[in-house]
Amino acid sequence: MNWSIVGWVVIALSALLLVICSLLGKKLDFYSLRRSSSAAGLMKAQITAIERGQPRLVAIGDQFWSRAYPGLGLHTLTSLPMLADSENVMDGGLSVAGGDGSLLVLAHQIVQNGYVNGFSMELSKPRMSAILPGPTQLSFSVGLLSELGLQKYGSIALFGNYGPAAILWTEAVQSKGGYAFAAAGSLPSQAALLFSVRDLMIGESVFSMSGLLSSNLADQARWLTEDILRVLLIFSLVAGVIMKLTGVL
Amino acid sequence: MKKILSVIIASVSGILILLGYFFKDRSGGLLVLLINWGILLISVAGLIGVGYLLQRHIRRLIQRKKGMFLSILLLLSFLTTLTLGFVFSLESEFFRELILNIQVPVEASLLALLAVVLFTSSTRLIKVRGWTPLSIGFLCSALVFLFLDLDLLKTGSGTLAAELILFIRRLPLAGARGILLGMALGGLIVGLRVLLGMDRPFGEGK
Repeated sequence: MNWSIVGWVVIALSALLLVICSLLGKKLDFYSLRRSSSAAGLMKAQITAIERGQPRLVAIGDQFWSRAYPGLGLHTLTSLPMLADSENVMDGGLSVAGGDGSLLVLAHQIVQNGYVNGFSMELSKPRMSAILPGPTQLSFSVGLLSELGLQKYGSIALFGNYGPAAILWTEAVQSKGGYAFAAAGSLPSQAALLFSVRDLMIGESVFSMSGLLSSNLADQARWLTEDILRVLLIFSLVAGVIMKLTGVL
Repeated sequence: MKKILSVIIASVSGILILLGYFFKDRSGGLLVLLINWGILLISVAGLIGVGYLLQRHIRRLIQRKKGMFLSILLLLSFLTTLTLGFVFSLESEFFRELILNIQVPVEASLLALLAVVLFTSSTRLIKVRGWTPLSIGFLCSALVFLFLDLDLLKTGSGTLAAELILFIRRLPLAGARGILLGMALGGLIVGLRVLLGMDRPFGEGK
């Protein structure tokens, strides 16, 4: 058995579990929806900033895809519809900053498609501004820092892939009385942000953001699948350790 | 219909790439073709991204908004780098030296700023997070590893103390692996949900 087969087995098992759990639908009622005080804090801060007429910034990462954290860019885009809903973009105060052209183009498309089946023409006009502070990691860090210095942002929410420089942006916003939230996925950024951000998501909780911001039945299926896989993973790790200790492996 | 079509295109391309990854020998160049299309699209999106950057700064300049001076600086540096990049090639020693002599000091100063901010923020850890097991554990482990990395403890090789220090030094690696495994699991589920059409960020809402 080689690693390619192991990969197939894991992917097939996950897909199968996801489909079964999704088909079970309402029968999963026993599996309660999750809540997070950090996600609730973000939503509250966004509303407060809208009411105060302050701009909000959602940073979606400095790259769409990276070898170490391949799913982060995609996950950020799946969470974006909840962050940039009609209410949030209506006043034109929401800015989405990304360090990668493809991320920004997709983000723009998502916001534009956010209200396609409605009846109000006013709501269908995208009022979000897309910012590319810089096309490389360094220029993104410096560019975003200067952008944050020009305006008094009410809140900043970090999603996606960053380095430890992420702490500079949260400090810049918080020093002016703004709110900071981070579901930044890379290990260096999580370690750095732990010092400064109260509402911080760490590890796999980063990937549950879309479900925490707006829960539905599909999220119950996902959480159940993730939990089953997590338990299986723990058992495999323990089994691996025992086999290694006993000399089988 | 438009939404269903985009879901089908996204799912089929994703599944084809996945199959091509596992059956490289039998993919018959399909994988390479799809990846090349992807690279082409990403490059075009990169150009659009640069367009966003320029548009924002040009608009700020025209509207004489706050930060106009920074915009002038950015546009001038962009045009200078672009022109020099076309005049000299990327392989040119002069061009590379010129860029690196600006980029490296800027990068170093950013790192210095980061070190100061990290230090000042670490002193406020308890204020931000309170006396929680996480904050206490984080502070204690930071102090322990700082002490260990100073290399003040001298132990003979192969002794119990040396083995113990080696074990303690490996602990962060185990923690990082644990976090990465959890994130890999999360990433896998996100990818599968998009592939199976359960998450449709490109459609309306969720």
